[in-house]
Amino acid sequence: MENNWRRRPRTWVEAFVLLNLGGLAPDIFLAHSVNAFHSRAEYAPLIFSLVAPALLLPALWALATGWLTLWRWLGFIVGGTAVLMGITGLVLHLQSQFFQQWTLASLVYAAPFAAPLAYTGLGSLLIMNRMIADKETEWAHWVILFALGGFVGNFIFTLTDHAQNGFFHRPEWIPVISSAVAVGFLIMPLMVKVDRPFLQVCGIVMLVQVAVGVLGFMFHALADLHDNGENLFLRVVHGAPIFAPTLFCDLAVLAGIGIWVLGSKHPPKRSSHQ
Amino acid sequence: MKFRNVFIALVIGTALVVAAFLINAQRPRIVVEQPNADLVKASGKCAECHRNNQYSIVHEYELSKHAQKGVTCLDCHQVLAGQTGTNHNGFVINNGITSANCRACHLAVYEQFARSRHAAPSWVAVVGNKDFSPEMIEQMEKLHPGSMKRPPHPLTSLEGSAAAKSGCITCHAIGKPNSDGSIGNCTLCHTRHTSSVEVARLPSTCGQCHLGPDHSQIEIYTQSKHGIMFAAQQNLLNLKAPSASLTTKDMFIPTCATCHMSGLNGRGVTHDPSERLSYNLFAEVTQERPNADRARAKMKDICLQCHTPPLVERIYKEGAAVVDATNEKVLAAKSIMDLLKAEGLISTNAFSQTIQFTYFDLWHYYGRTAKHAAFMGGADYVQWHGNYPILQHTVELKEQAAQLRKENGK
Repeated sequence: MENNWRRRPRTWVEAFVLLNLGGLAPDIFLAHSVNAFHSRAEYAPLIFSLVAPALLLPALWALATGWLTLWRWLGFIVGGTAVLMGITGLVLHLQSQFFQQWTLASLVYAAPFAAPLAYTGLGSLLIMNRMIADKETEWAHWVILFALGGFVGNFIFTLTDHAQNGFFHRPEWIPVISSAVAVGFLIMPLMVKVDRPFLQVCGIVMLVQVAVGVLGFMFHALADLHDNGENLFLRVVHGAPIFAPTLFCDLAVLAGIGIWVLGSKHPPKRSSHQ
Repeated sequence: MKFRNVFIALVIGTALVVAAFLINAQRPRIVVEQPNADLVKASGKCAECHRNNQYSIVHEYELSKHAQKGVTCLDCHQVLAGQTGTNHNGFVINNGITSANCRACHLAVYEQFARSRHAAPSWVAVVGNKDFSPEMIEQMEKLHPGSMKRPPHPLTSLEGSAAAKSGCITCHAIGKPNSDGSIGNCTLCHTRHTSSVEVARLPSTCGQCHLGPDHSQIEIYTQSKHGIMFAAQQNLLNLKAPSASLTTKDMFIPTCATCHMSGLNGRGVTHDPSERLSYNLFAEVTQERPNADRARAKMKDICLQCHTPPLVERIYKEGAAVVDATNEKVLAAKSIMDLLKAEGLISTNAFSQTIQFTYFDLWHYYGRTAKHAAFMGGADYVQWHGNYPILQHTVELKEQAAQLRKENGK
C-alpha cells in the first residue's frame, strides 16, 4: 500500500461518503416532496445533506495535507450527526400504517422506515474509517459489511417497492434476484477465509450490480417520462424513484473498495503443479 | 478457488430469492390480482396517505363490502368518458364521482334508478327541464306524467340562488344530470366510502330528505307501528343482509326501503320506488299513476309478507278514502282560487299574496301529509297535522278571498 493519499483506500471511502451524503440531498428532496414536506422535521435531512459535504471537503483537504487531527474530528462530527440523523429518521418513519396493522399488505405501502438508516450507515463508515487503519484486513471487512448491509436493504426495498406494482412487469424481479446474489457473495468474506479468485468472482458480481443499477435507472426514467402527472417533476416525485437503482452502482463501488483491499492481502498465486 | 464458497454464496442468494417469492405469494389475492399496476398500487398506496389525512375515509372504506370484494379506491375514482380527470400523486383520478362510476358495475340498479322519480323528475321539480334533452323529457314524462314539462320552481328565484343551492338542490341533486350523461349520485343514499346497503336501509337515510311539512314521511313513519317497532328492535334486524337474499327473517320490522325497494322473500329488488306506488300522493290533486294496478299488486305482495290479506285490504281501502276526501277538500279550495284568478284578483306572480301561501300550504303541506299518513299508519298526521290544518286553511282561504273581493270592490 503506498502512502500517496490519493491511492489510500480510506481516501476513496472518504470521497464515497462525501459524494453519497451530497447525493442524498436531491433524493431526500424528491422523497419528501411526496407529502410536500408535511412536517418541518423533513427539512432536517435535506439541510444536513447540503451541509455535510461542505464539512467533509475540508476534511478531505486535511487528509491530503496530513492534518489528520482536523480530518478525524470533522469526520467524527459529521459521522456522529449522520448516525443520529438516521436513527431519528427511522423513528419518525415509524408513523406508518404497517405499525398499526402489522400486515403484509400494509408493509408494502409503508413509508420506507429503514431508508434513513442510509445516514447511519454513511456516518458509521466515516467513524470506522477513522478508528481502523485501512492497511488492516479488519478495515476491508468493515467496508464489505457496510456494502452488505446496503445490499440487504436493496433486497428488502426492491421487494417491497416493486410489490406496490404487484411485480406487474417481470423485470421488476431482476434487482431482487441480483441483490440476493450480492448478499450471498458479500457475506462469504466475512464468514470464512476466501481466496483471491473468489474475490474476483465477487468483483464480477459487483459489476453485474452496476449493470442492474444502470438498467434500473433507465427503466425508472422511462416510466417517469410516460407516467401520469402534470409535469416531469411531479411524475418523478410520485412515479418510480429515479435515484433508487443507482444505489446498486453505489454499493458495488463500496464493496469493490473492500474487495480490492482484501484482495491486496492475497497476492496472486503462481501456478504450481504437485 | 474453493467451489464450496461459491456454492454457499449461491445457496444464500437462492434462499433469499425463494423467500422473496414465497412472501410475495402470500400477499392477498384481491391486492395483486388487478388488471393493471395502478390498480394494484391503489389497493394500498391511497390508504397510506389518507389514513393520516382523512382517517374516516379509509376506515369507512375498510368497513365496506367494496373492501371485502377487492374494489380499490381507483376502481371507483377512475375517469370515465365525459368526466374530468385530476392528477393526484401519480394517479389520474376522478374526484367528482357520479352514478356513472357506480353504473360501471351496477348497471341494472342504475337503470332502475334512472326510471324513478328520484332521477330526472326530482331535478326538474326545482330547476326545470332545461338540462335534459327533448327525448329524455318525453321518455320520462310518459313514466311520470306532469313531472318533466314544467318550469323552474318559482321559489328558487324568489328565495335566491344561495338558499336554493344549500336548500332545495341539496336533496333534489339526487336527480342532477352529470357531464358524463348519467343522472344523480348513488352516494346520497349509500354514503360515499361505506357504500352501504345497511345505511341505505335506515329510515333516517330516507328521512334526510323526506321530512318536514311538505314530505313528512319520516315523521309519519316514526309515529307508525313500523317506526316504533324499528326503534325498539333495530339491533335485532339484519340490516346488512344482501339484497338478493333478503327475507323477513332479516327484516321482520320494515323500514322505508323494505317496502318500497327491497327484494323481500324473493320479490325483486328495485331502485325505482314508483314500481310499488299506485297514487301520486305528492300531487295537488292525487290521481292514480300510469302503472297503478301493477304497482298496487306489487306493494300488496310486499305487505302480505308480514300481514294478513284483510288488514292489507283495509289499509288500502282506508287510504283510498282519505285520498278521495283530501282531493275533495283541495278541489274545493282550488275552485276558490280559480274563481279569484278568473276575477283577476290573483297575481300572476307566484307567492306574492298571502292567499297564495295559504292555498299552497293547504295542499302542499297538509294535503300531502294527510294522504301519506293514511297509507303509512300515521293517525296523528292524518288528523292533527293533516285534516285539521286543511280545515283551518280552508276557513282562512275563504276569509282572505272575501277580503280580496272587498278590497277590490267586488
